[in-house]
Amino acid sequence: MPGHYIDIPAAVGEKSVRVGEGETFTKVAVLDGKAGLPFDHIIAEADSKVDICVIVLPHTDSEASETAGASGASETAVIDIPLTVDLVGEGAEVKLSGIYVCASDSKVKLSTIVRHRVPHCSSDQTFNGIAGGKSHFKFFGHIIVAPDAQKTNAYQSSHNLLLSPEARIDAKPQLEIYADDVKCSHGAAIGQLNEDEQFYLRSRGIPESEAKVLQMISFVAPVISGISDEALREKIHARVESVIRDLAETLQ
Amino acid sequence: MNDILLKISNLHASIGDKEILRGIDLCIGRGEIHAILGPNGAGKSTLSSVLTGKPQYTVTSGSAFLEGKDLLAMKPEERAWAGIFMSFQYPVEIPGVSITNFMKTAINSKRAAMGLEPLSAGEFLRLMKEKMAFVKMKSEFAKREVNVGFSGGEKKRNEIFQMAMLDPTLSILDETDSGLDVDALKIVADGVRALHTPDKSAIIITHYKKLLDYVHPDFVHVLKDGRIVRTGGPELADEIEEKGFDQF
Repeated sequence: MPGHYIDIPAAVGEKSVRVGEGETFTKVAVLDGKAGLPFDHIIAEADSKVDICVIVLPHTDSEASETAGASGASETAVIDIPLTVDLVGEGAEVKLSGIYVCASDSKVKLSTIVRHRVPHCSSDQTFNGIAGGKSHFKFFGHIIVAPDAQKTNAYQSSHNLLLSPEARIDAKPQLEIYADDVKCSHGAAIGQLNEDEQFYLRSRGIPESEAKVLQMISFVAPVISGISDEALREKIHARVESVIRDLAETLQ
Repeated sequence: MNDILLKISNLHASIGDKEILRGIDLCIGRGEIHAILGPNGAGKSTLSSVLTGKPQYTVTSGSAFLEGKDLLAMKPEERAWAGIFMSFQYPVEIPGVSITNFMKTAINSKRAAMGLEPLSAGEFLRLMKEKMAFVKMKSEFAKREVNVGFSGGEKKRNEIFQMAMLDPTLSILDETDSGLDVDALKIVADGVRALHTPDKSAIIITHYKKLLDYVHPDFVHVLKDGRIVRTGGPELADEIEEKGFDQF
């Protein structure tokens, strides 16, 4: 018997969203408090287009952090972001992207499961993030391609920056492919700020701290530039830049 | 008599355990253009990296003074503020950062270090426009991400553009002519020539004589095995072209 995941029917749950034939579903979600995504499951029918962008900025929503402080909780709760996508109709196109900027002691777990159940669909996932302080980020990305899902294009990439010796990143990509005529790839990388890039910026008179800010902005740029609504994109860019600046100050 | 802009004495530098510069002595007068030629592996790029403060290199002995200030004690950004600029052999791509943002940050960082207010948006735009026209870059260039998707020629023009924007006292052109076609080479050379004034100096580091046909050096040095083995006038470049580096 093929994969166990694929045997589970694309059952509609409480937080499922069904994107009907030919429909488009676009969502940019900023998660900066305690709340997670309003949905955890997407069902993409034939020729539908799904575009979900998740911006995770823990502890930057002042109201949420005040509440957390008032409750006196010493241990930070894990921000759990599960998202399952079932591609159930031919021609469905799914794009999932996201960034996280974690500082202090935040803990974030992002798990995606993308199930290609039928032929001729595509999925594209890009998650880039930065972990500083004592933060811990986990990324689990699971792609399953059913035996019938020929001509599938599935791509996943996760690039992560580790900024402090006490921060931790776990990236676990997983491909489970049962069809033979597919294009699937994944890439996960965890690294530090690039020295050549930093030297180039500094050689132009940009101080080290500001060079790091530009490098971090550069790191999350591919995701932010994919937000199609220009006003929203600029607003998110400004917000992320301010979080990055706060994080950069802790690096000195 | 020119006053001295840069004085390098007995400079030794290593990367890891490997000594690459093995005692460089070089004196650059104000207003002079010096060419440094040498075969692959002679230490040309190491010299420019050490002068601009690339962290991977270690200076093991010797000194370098720019206008009397101890260059080797400065951070890379402080060297830029002091008037040093290097045109990179391999300019680095920085996705997500526009040329405008990059240059605005660079110029205003220097102004802040000098205790000056940032340039106003209008002043900055005027400067950008003027310098872009100077290197024949189209207006959309300002919005492009730094070096991303640039051709080899565009990357080198971008270096000369940055040089024009930052107005350095000492320009170091590290193999700026490598990989350029004739048209791009001319734009680069015209830029270097036009930016050269009697109070500015340049070091042109190159493997070939090509760029020196357009920008005429006052002095030519031959760098080999980490040392300057010969110094002469422009005629030395012709001699090298004819006979190669093996004679040294």
